[in-house]
Amino acid sequence: MSIKGGGFSRKSSASDKIPDSSLADIAFLLLIFFMVTTVFRTDKEQDIEWPQAEATKRIDEKRDDILNVWLTQMGEVFINDQPLAMGQVRPIVAPIYAESDRRLVVSIRSDREVPYRLVDELQEQLKAAGVVRVVFATELEQRMTRARR
Amino acid sequence: MAVLQKKSKVSDEIPSSSMADIAFLLLIFFLVTTVFPKDKGLAIVLPEPNAEEQEINPKNLMFFLVQPNGQIDVKRGESEQIQVITAQQVEGVWRTDFAQNANLIAVVQTHPESAYRHMINVLDALQSAGADKISLQVQELN
Repeated sequence: MSIKGGGFSRKSSASDKIPDSSLADIAFLLLIFFMVTTVFRTDKEQDIEWPQAEATKRIDEKRDDILNVWLTQMGEVFINDQPLAMGQVRPIVAPIYAESDRRLVVSIRSDREVPYRLVDELQEQLKAAGVVRVVFATELEQRMTRARR
Repeated sequence: MAVLQKKSKVSDEIPSSSMADIAFLLLIFFLVTTVFPKDKGLAIVLPEPNAEEQEINPKNLMFFLVQPNGQIDVKRGESEQIQVITAQQVEGVWRTDFAQNANLIAVVQTHPESAYRHMINVLDALQSAGADKISLQVQELN
């Protein structure tokens, strides 16, 4: 004798499928976030030890208006991955500065142990190229580490 | 009647199952290529190449002489007196002097063989103390 609709044969009203219609929405949301924040790297990062400073501030300037000038511990100068002699900085930077409509900001990315003589020479080159706005790139220093120094 | 009621075998939904795959593929691409910009530091303004030289009353100058070992010698105006301090004391010394003379200009003179970070420490302290008139120079050795 069988019971109608009883026992094992009763079907659950819940769907046996995982709802995946919103998955694409989530993925696209993340996608759009990364598309907006992505900046394709302009130049290779040189291997330097960053100096630290507590007064470090963000530079609110368009990416295109920032020129990185690297100064490695060996005293080599790099602009856009090109190794340069100190004397070549002015002739290279001057046209870039003129092209940027005088908005260019030069970010000096120097190793912390570099003798100041080289940093001064670099500043003189930039001055001669007419660059006025310069940033010494630093890492933000926390108060805790400062107290221990 | 029979013709109208015949149902099409083609589904009336747009197939969206592969949409997530495509989105994730693009997402992974952007995740991998993303580099968050590291544009931060201490901003200064260099003088114009052919700026006029200005006469400044020596009373309004405060010299910070950065030595190769990181020691700072402070010299005020024309006085020959030298006060030896460390980088941590710069902020306090500047604040005290600036409170007495609001026209004070900080002159950071770094020894050519001194490490870059010593100069950054002084510049950091001055900027933390709110100094806006800062001149960066290199010491001229005799």
